[in-house]
Amino acid sequence: MAICAFLVAGFAIAIMLILRGTENSLRLANDRLGADIIVVPEGTTTKVETALLMGNPTEVWMPESNLAKIAAIPGVAAATPQLYLSTLNNASCCSVASMFLVAYDPETDFAIEPWLESTIGRGLSLGEAVGGTYVFVPEGEQNIKIYGYFVTLKANIEPTGTGLDQSMFLTFETAKDIARLSPELALQPLIIPEDSISSVLVRLAPGVDPMSISAEIIRQVPGVTPITSPNMFQAYRQQMNGLLASILLVLGITLVLSGLMIGLVFSMAANERRRELGVLRAMGATRNFVLRSLLLEASILALEGGLAGITFTVLVIFLFRNLIMRSFGFPFLLPDPGLLLIEISVGLLLALVCVTLAAMIPAYRISHMEPALAMRE
Amino acid sequence: MKIIGAVLIVLSLVVAIAPMFTDCQSQGKAIVLENGKTVPMKCHWSGVAELMVAVPLFVLGIMFLVNNNRMVFRNLSILGMILGIIIILIPTNLIGVCANPEMICSSVMRPILILCGILVVVASSVGLWLSFKKQDQPV
Repeated sequence: MAICAFLVAGFAIAIMLILRGTENSLRLANDRLGADIIVVPEGTTTKVETALLMGNPTEVWMPESNLAKIAAIPGVAAATPQLYLSTLNNASCCSVASMFLVAYDPETDFAIEPWLESTIGRGLSLGEAVGGTYVFVPEGEQNIKIYGYFVTLKANIEPTGTGLDQSMFLTFETAKDIARLSPELALQPLIIPEDSISSVLVRLAPGVDPMSISAEIIRQVPGVTPITSPNMFQAYRQQMNGLLASILLVLGITLVLSGLMIGLVFSMAANERRRELGVLRAMGATRNFVLRSLLLEASILALEGGLAGITFTVLVIFLFRNLIMRSFGFPFLLPDPGLLLIEISVGLLLALVCVTLAAMIPAYRISHMEPALAMRE
Repeated sequence: MKIIGAVLIVLSLVVAIAPMFTDCQSQGKAIVLENGKTVPMKCHWSGVAELMVAVPLFVLGIMFLVNNNRMVFRNLSILGMILGIIIILIPTNLIGVCANPEMICSSVMRPILILCGILVVVASSVGLWLSFKKQDQPV
């Protein structure tokens, strides 16, 4: 019975943790991007979302002139361009293989500069960069080598559970300097097409409707797709919803099967003690007392099994979070302790309810048996 | 107590064998020096150290199986807890694994060893608790 509670509670908490962890991660990534609308070249939405969420590098381009057109739309408070680049794979001129690089314009940026100001007290200079939480300088080296160019890592951003954790942020000036020197320093040159940018981050004036500005961007700037903040990572959210439906089905089946199993095991265990329970009744114990004792026993077993299942599952998910993230292809970040406690309570409650309900029928049957009959058989 | 012995033997085998298939060397990765020679990454040395801890843990599991003395169980349990802590400390603090979270040693080997270490500590703690419980009954 405790094993069934272990499974029910463990499975429930695993589902809640993974779904919450993914949602948490998507929200943090959205906050980190800090834009109300992201404008990307038409047809590249999924590519850009995958790059930002999973850190798979992508290179998409659109004319730089789009920036001025977008900035001129009434209701747009600020617009800043970004370049999406990547390091080379398995090349000695790059310390880190296939890393997603985001170059920003410090003059117009509103997403990364404010964070830098609060962390290192100033913006980035030429040859400097900030990295996601998993970006580090290789052992025995002073800097990170990108296309043979030495970049100094100034700080690391807090974890988001997304590809941003494995991405590096640098200024336009640094990116263009790397591109200029790469033909001499690297195995392959870094190519940034003339007058091109990868995306435009848009911040809206207060009270402006993002949907109307999106429609205006589509009307005035051909060849681009605006993604409003609530719709960001929509493809992932839809995938998650699809997964949620299947997972809920499996959880339902597990609950029913566990309920049946618990009922059967409890019925057998109670039958074994029929004589003892009969003696108890003959000595004056009420039916209600016997019923409550049996249900209390089931509840204690459920709590023990549930707690063990939850502890084990939380531990396994915490330890294997990177493997889970890579295997499922979803971003993942553990929820904060308060939310985790609520989820643990829900999992425990589910195990308790499932076990108590399943034990109810056999407990009721045994407790309502005539003492003489129970003792004789 | 016999069950705890069996659990410790299984865990010692996992601790000894898992690093052989989940360190970077098992995936053909190594540090290339300036002179072209290759040396194993530090996750490999963590694996070797874990093997050295797994051997006494295996023996400890067998001693759990063949002994009946309460005091021996108590001492073995304390030793098991210490070995469990060492199993956790090797890939986290003492030697470590590669820093890149995408590498197999970081995403698979380290979590397996930490989990095994925790289970060894838990199993040994249960053994210690049982050795104090019901003094008048055989364990």
